[in-house]
Amino acid sequence: MSVYRHPYKEADFVIRHLLAFDDFCRDNALDELNSDFFQVVLTEAEKFAAKYLVEQNRQGDLQPARLIAGKVVETPGFASSYRAFVEQGWSSLSASEQYGGQGLPNILSVACNEIWQSANLAFSLCPLLGQGAITAIERHGSRELKQQYLKKLISGEWTGTMNLTEAGAGSDLAAIKTRAVPEDDHYKIYGQKIFITWGDHQMSDNIIHLVLARLPDAPAGVKGLSLFVVPKYLLDEQGQPGIENDLRCISLEHKLGIHASPTCVMSYGDENGAIGYVIGENNYGLHYMFSMMNHARQGVGVQGLGVSERAYQVALEYAGNRVQGTDKAGNSIRIIEFGDVRRMLMLLKSATEAMRALCYYAGFETDKKNAAADNSELARQSAARIDFLTPIVKGWCTELTQELVSLAMQIHGGAGYIEEAGVAQLVRDARILTIYEGTTGIQALDLVKRKTLLDDGAQAGLLFAEIEQTLTQLEKSPGCEAMYHSLNTALADGRAALNWLQVNPTQSSCVAAYYLQLWGYLTGGWLMAKSQLIASTLLDNESSDSDYLQAKLVTAKFYAEHFLVRTNTCLASIEAGGDTMMSLSEQQFFSHVN
Amino acid sequence: MKVLVTVKRVIDYNVKVRVKADGSDVDLNNVKMAMNPFCEIAVEEAIRLKESGTATEVIAVSVGPKACQEQLRTALALGADRAIHIESEAQLESLNVAKLLAKVIEQEQPGVVILGKQAIDTDNNQTGQMLSALTGMAQGTFASKIDIQGDKAVVIREVDGGLQTIELAMPIIATTDLRLNEPRYASLPNIMKAKRKPLEVKTPEELGVSIKAHTKLLSVGAPAERKAGIKVASVAELVDKLKNEAKVI
Amino acid sequence: MSILVIAEHDNDSIKSSTLNTVTAALAIADDVTVLVAGSNCQSAAQSAAKISGVSKVLVADNPAYANQLAENMRGLIVELAEGKSHILAPATTSGKNIMPGVAALLDVGQISEIIKVESADVFERPIYAGNAVAKVQSLDTIKVITVRTTAFEEAGDTGSASIEQVAAVCDAGKSTFIGEAVVVSERPELTAAKIVISGGRGMGNGENFSLLEAVADKLGAAVGASRAAVDAGFVSNDMQVGQTGKIVAPDLYIAVGISGAIQHLAGMKDSKVIVAINKDEEAPIFSIADYGLVADLFEAVPELEASL
Repeated sequence: MSVYRHPYKEADFVIRHLLAFDDFCRDNALDELNSDFFQVVLTEAEKFAAKYLVEQNRQGDLQPARLIAGKVVETPGFASSYRAFVEQGWSSLSASEQYGGQGLPNILSVACNEIWQSANLAFSLCPLLGQGAITAIERHGSRELKQQYLKKLISGEWTGTMNLTEAGAGSDLAAIKTRAVPEDDHYKIYGQKIFITWGDHQMSDNIIHLVLARLPDAPAGVKGLSLFVVPKYLLDEQGQPGIENDLRCISLEHKLGIHASPTCVMSYGDENGAIGYVIGENNYGLHYMFSMMNHARQGVGVQGLGVSERAYQVALEYAGNRVQGTDKAGNSIRIIEFGDVRRMLMLLKSATEAMRALCYYAGFETDKKNAAADNSELARQSAARIDFLTPIVKGWCTELTQELVSLAMQIHGGAGYIEEAGVAQLVRDARILTIYEGTTGIQALDLVKRKTLLDDGAQAGLLFAEIEQTLTQLEKSPGCEAMYHSLNTALADGRAALNWLQVNPTQSSCVAAYYLQLWGYLTGGWLMAKSQLIASTLLDNESSDSDYLQAKLVTAKFYAEHFLVRTNTCLASIEAGGDTMMSLSEQQFFSHVN
Repeated sequence: MKVLVTVKRVIDYNVKVRVKADGSDVDLNNVKMAMNPFCEIAVEEAIRLKESGTATEVIAVSVGPKACQEQLRTALALGADRAIHIESEAQLESLNVAKLLAKVIEQEQPGVVILGKQAIDTDNNQTGQMLSALTGMAQGTFASKIDIQGDKAVVIREVDGGLQTIELAMPIIATTDLRLNEPRYASLPNIMKAKRKPLEVKTPEELGVSIKAHTKLLSVGAPAERKAGIKVASVAELVDKLKNEAKVI
Repeated sequence: MSILVIAEHDNDSIKSSTLNTVTAALAIADDVTVLVAGSNCQSAAQSAAKISGVSKVLVADNPAYANQLAENMRGLIVELAEGKSHILAPATTSGKNIMPGVAALLDVGQISEIIKVESADVFERPIYAGNAVAKVQSLDTIKVITVRTTAFEEAGDTGSASIEQVAAVCDAGKSTFIGEAVVVSERPELTAAKIVISGGRGMGNGENFSLLEAVADKLGAAVGASRAAVDAGFVSNDMQVGQTGKIVAPDLYIAVGISGAIQHLAGMKDSKVIVAINKDEEAPIFSIADYGLVADLFEAVPELEASL
């Protein structure tokens, strides 16, 4: 497989120009930060990924984590890579400085995560889940919990996990059965959790499990769940890992992809009960989980971006080397010269760039929110924008990733279906992305119901208005005609879809997936349009990077012609409504076999 | 004891160079740049000398355009204490660079100066040796081990066919070969700290060095392309071709 | 024009790199003097006198030059430089060690690793690890040059130059030779070998390099490796051929299980004949190989050895 190279010019273009990050730094007196500094950090991140993660990606696929004598043993080499990851400070990037973090902006964290995920998705999940545990304890934990756990979690010496799902409680967490019984200053936890990513391993001194469980007197349903810190090793008086807690991994799942990431069945309290400490108030567990959800879900969208970028690079290298056939003069032809291969490469390139623009744009909104005064109008606006974009980033990027990794395999022809080429692993690894952290169906419902209909289309309307402004600029810009035309039509499609949903709210769950897709193509197209405008302006400067910027113009145009136009079919399916899909009786689904 | 270490900004190792259409030079416009790999080894060695207590201060020096400061910041992030940038927009030849560095040595009086044995752009392999001649300091080129023992240094050198051990009177100039060490990567906290470390900018004029051209680049071309050969079907055919057609065995 | 060539030798005999360098010198001008600086090096001087085209051999025979330490050598050469238009040495680790200091003391530039003499002051040299070739004109009165030995034929041995002793003793007192650990091998050095056989990641592990060694022993070849093989820990990195390893240009280069990354190609693509053995027929190495064999190396290499 090809070497991974960080798309540093893309990251720089998006952060410096599309997001105008340097203006943000100036306005918020972030004296030490700017786009140049980010480039330095990202260069080092790329070096780290190249040395520690890229090679081990394939190895992890071939040598999955194993459960040996009750302990999960990770892929050989992962432990030393993880140690290096921690030593070099990557786990603490955006964490609070108060507890030893670097306090850097979320957008830098997003850009680094893209690198880790391009290099080795399975590995990257371990620190990513740690970030979730850190956020939960930092925002909602008691002073004591923070002092005991945050520093080591932030430094990466300890890792964190998220324990939500149970055999009978997946998308519906109200069905959670794990019990928490009060005892002295702590609780005893009893129950079984499934699908626990990196639930056990030997890479760190301790593993801090965050467990959703129900107190004896708790109300039924989601309002009766509390969140607990349950460490693998209980802390001794010095705050160091001491005796083992009553919890263990009882089995590992055999999965389609991300083999190196152990997916554990965790059992709590088989003997005397696992000791846990409640985070925040009783019965607020799910509320706390939701407060981290935007971050986690956007994180999965970025995983889609990372895998797509890698798939593009792998396919590009193959297409540039693979020789098939000869031209009239007898010269051999590389397949990159064929029209259909070009089509597929352009689909990969343009979609990946649109995904990056959207992921970074949404990630940067968190920085804007953090910079704004608490409860200010600006903070509210950013929060609403984040809420709206999160299901789009998660749902649209990861669904598009499936199409892209599949194209990357297609470019390889038969060789791609053979494991050695490497692209097969990307196809398998990518498949989880539309499923975990809320399936695409869940994202779509969230977008339609909570994010669109609940505020009567207010946030959607604000975005439409901003897209309208971009259209005004496009109209005056020579060379942007194709983009203007497609974006104009797509905007009309978006408005029509919103209108239809407001008129037919009861059918929204049937067409939610199309609505989510429509928004994905539209926001991706909007940001590509903005990129096109910026690139045209930058090209007027003689010292500009004309190779890159010209390519950006073409890529944006291609996106307009091939992806943005898809809003039209989304709208058609939305307007068809749910009647047809709901009209068969369940029996009739078997009509061909009964 | 101070250690002076030089870093050069060069085209990134992974970038395939392209010759300009007019054949005047290679096209370095907007290509990815990085620290010369041999300089990374030099920086690593300097930092190790400090970590082992042999050196008290590591000073990184670079000669070139403003953008060189990126590589100096990297050196600072890796562990250098301060940096000196000798700013010059012109492409300087090795002798000019050596003269500038000699001035810095005069000012800083380092006990050890470490340079990469060559830069992967011009492939000259000259500056360290020239610096030794200009300063009169002993030289240990292509070093795979540098052992400072008080007023002398034992340097193991990679020479064609093996390793040579020499003993040098301090102060010394060493140039690095691949086996000297494996360079570390900058940690994120150190990248942050590097922003606050001192970086001094000087000009050739301030150092009293006049820049003189010793060569003129007439043209740059692509190397003669190899014609793709033929595929042979068997080992027997291969041996036959090598014996009777290529006549190399 | 008068040229001084710095001989590389082991006091007993002249190394072949000197012969290539004399050829380069003769492409510039006819008046070629060879300096043999060493200790008890008269017999090396005798063989230098036999190099075709050499008119004079200068012998500096003194313990100060025993190991051709740079500080002493450059002092001597500068003393002998007067009246010379060019000073040449092979671009071996020895020549590279000495010559830039000579240039600096003479306040001239050095032109490194020339591969072609265009005229008395215009030379071609590879840059960017051979990915481009620069045509460079020297503006100095004395031209200090190192010569890429693989780019010039060896001079013959039909000469009969006069031998002249040089009395000058330059001992800078800065450095002392302690010892040399020459790799004890029946095989030639990588950079001087006429035939090189190299292994890549496809070798699978370090033990499998014995397959290549067996072929090397039959051909009198050196054994090299790609960066991938070195990075994977199969072999030590003094065997690395490539941009940051050793640059080789033998008569025959056999690449086994090497895909042909740019870094590797940069280190060997000037070889006269390139053979690639790889089971992946799409491997980039085939695009520069004169003879490509698509085969499992674990079958092909033993078969090759058996048929030699």
